Amino acid sequence: MASFTRPSTRPDDIHTLLTGVERYNPQKASVLEDYLARQCANPDPSTNHDLMANLALLKMYQFNPDLVDLDVIRRILAKALISQSQSDFNLCLYLLSDEICSDASISKLLILRDYLEGAQFGKFWSEMYGGDDDDEDMSVVDGIAGFDNGLRKLIIGEITSTYQTVPAKAVETMVNLDEEAVLRLCKEQEWPVDNGIISLPLKGENEARATVIKESVKFEQLTKILSAANDI
Amino acid sequence: MYQDNYEDLEFGGDVELVANSYANANIADGELDEEELIMQAQAGVQSIPEQVRNFLGHLHRNLVNCNVNDLAYNYENQFVRLTEKFYAKGPWPEPQYVAALVGDDGLFLTLYRELYYRHIYSRLHPSMETRFRSFENYCDLFNYILNSDGPIELELPNQWLWDIVDEFIYQFQSFCTHRSRVGKRTPEDIELLKDNSQVWNTYSVLNVLYSLIQKSNISKQLEAGQQGGDVIEAAGEFGVRPLYKMLGYFSIVGLVRVHCMLGDYTLALQTMENIELGNSRALFTRVTACHVTVYYYVGFSYLMMGRYADAIQSFAHILTFVSRTKQYHQRSYQFDAVNKKAEQMYALLAIAVSLSPVRVDENIHSYLREKYGDQQHKMQRGGDEAVDIISELYLFACPKFIMPNPPNYADLEAASKAVEPQSFQLKIFLREARLQLVVPTLRSFLRLYTTMDLDRLSSFLDMKPAELRNQLMVYKQRCRQLKWIGGPSLLSGEVTSTTDLDFALQEDMIFIAESRVGRRYADWFIRNTNKVQDLINNQENRQKITIANAGKPKSEETIAAAAAAAVEA
Repeated sequence: MASFTRPSTRPDDIHTLLTGVERYNPQKASVLEDYLARQCANPDPSTNHDLMANLALLKMYQFNPDLVDLDVIRRILAKALISQSQSDFNLCLYLLSDEICSDASISKLLILRDYLEGAQFGKFWSEMYGGDDDDEDMSVVDGIAGFDNGLRKLIIGEITSTYQTVPAKAVETMVNLDEEAVLRLCKEQEWPVDNGIISLPLKGENEARATVIKESVKFEQLTKILSAANDI
Repeated sequence: MYQDNYEDLEFGGDVELVANSYANANIADGELDEEELIMQAQAGVQSIPEQVRNFLGHLHRNLVNCNVNDLAYNYENQFVRLTEKFYAKGPWPEPQYVAALVGDDGLFLTLYRELYYRHIYSRLHPSMETRFRSFENYCDLFNYILNSDGPIELELPNQWLWDIVDEFIYQFQSFCTHRSRVGKRTPEDIELLKDNSQVWNTYSVLNVLYSLIQKSNISKQLEAGQQGGDVIEAAGEFGVRPLYKMLGYFSIVGLVRVHCMLGDYTLALQTMENIELGNSRALFTRVTACHVTVYYYVGFSYLMMGRYADAIQSFAHILTFVSRTKQYHQRSYQFDAVNKKAEQMYALLAIAVSLSPVRVDENIHSYLREKYGDQQHKMQRGGDEAVDIISELYLFACPKFIMPNPPNYADLEAASKAVEPQSFQLKIFLREARLQLVVPTLRSFLRLYTTMDLDRLSSFLDMKPAELRNQLMVYKQRCRQLKWIGGPSLLSGEVTSTTDLDFALQEDMIFIAESRVGRRYADWFIRNTNKVQDLINNQENRQKITIANAGKPKSEETIAAAAAAAVEA
């Protein structure tokens, strides 16, 4: 969820560009495009997404329609799709226009996004890979290293925060892996599997404990009392 | 006191003299219709009512003498009253005639023109020419402020400075909207627009705001203020002057607004860095309209980002402020504007609270229920009707969005069919809101049980078990939001659960847990401890005064005065 902070992989020159008025200089678009290419080549989901830089690039496109490169936008959206932060995708969309969104591969990404956010994972996977002409479908997320894995990580995160126990069969469809692969995954994560039912560790989100919200007293509330005590 | 002192007659004499000299200057130019020109100029000046002439004279004098308090009175009260009296349906006097009254003082005339155009924008329909001229005038003003060798000798009341920045952005937005509706423009207008693409250009508007921010070093000043550095040193030659400092500060707020109008909500919140929200002494609180604007755009940005908890907090905070201070700014000329913004924020708050149910301040809650109770109920029920209501409230309450570029004049037909940014932003927001609607709907069912079978719940909700399973996951996901926990960056925050109703799934069994708010003891104790302390302090002061006065001869009056002072203390 750290979309707004500087990722460790952001170089200094990009950081300077983003924090100054140079972010409006259309000549710098190529710098950000190159940086996006590096994000796309990096398969590590914890360091391969720099939302702020990509938003700055979309803004340059917004101001300079002649620079618009739909393939770059497609990759930015695909990156946002697998981001841990759910608002990233929309934040990118707000900077686009209706015209751009009606492009074939972009509107395909919008459909994928709807399935993903609606937790319709089965439909998501079949929309992505189940089409008749695989070539065209593949292109939507083409050139993004670690897309499937990033996506699975996201989906597994959602499963583990909802379920305490879940049938292995259900997980197979949700992450689009066969039985063997899911069992391997459970082993890696040390999740016990019993009779086709996976037990997930309790981690706060999936505990559902009834609590009483207690008031917290801030230090500022006590300043007056403390200063009075000081007078005595 | 002030009391209509602009009616003093002595000043009227000066005005005549100036008017004559202006007319003479025209004669010296030796054009053909000399007499006509004189007549015209004289008639122009004469047509200005005496009260107005005197007012302009005072305004000019106060401006030259940097008399900020009097200027504030001229600006906030007299100008408004005279507008009501003489110019409710027409423009203020032409700047060229006013020139004669103030000895052609360039700076004064630039400021006057700003008022003159602003009045046309607010009361009449600005023509294309007015829009162009007003832009030129802003360029003159900002060039003068930004490009002089040293800081200029000018001081204006905060209110006025805020209005200049605010109006500058309003006119920019108005121009962009005007420009993009090509279907309504005449061919001549379009030619004019085509030839003058630099007028109200997005880059130039941003350039003005960024330059004002840079010149005043306001970001460094704010940072120093927050981290305990030397503010004066950080301010530099220009930034120490109130004019530059406040223009820089207001430009930050203006920039937040422009970013929102362009759909860049992250940049809007990033721009707010180092402006301390929640600080009741922050600079933005000095001008009510600015205070309200800050929270409106911050709240709106959060809403668009799906950070409902933060949006609710921002709106609730400022709406409480507005309702508490209503009686104080009732007579202010901005009362209507502030009220309109507040109404819009109630509508946005109604959306946010429906989508992410949470307890709000009691007064706000009852106002919401009175005004939007019906709509809130429908929104929480979900479905298409809910989406219609959200759209309706949203369109009433959202800021005006703009396209940063001129339309494609080469293809007018296509340009006139382009989707307006308003509906585009709504469309994206609805994608998000539609998902979020799962939360209130499910919550209303889940709260009735502690354990529940998935199949049974699905039959209550009239949906397939598989679909419900998905919706439960969506609920989980939607109830985890980033929430601001203080600090200089409004974008930062912690992932928190925003619901009081949580659940977990064991295969097909739903275990539901509700969180309740415990009683607030500490607050009660703190308030009463403070009350007792105040009481003790008062008694002690009174005792001290009595002791000090013992021995002195005392009259009834001094005792009464001392007692009154003690009570006040």
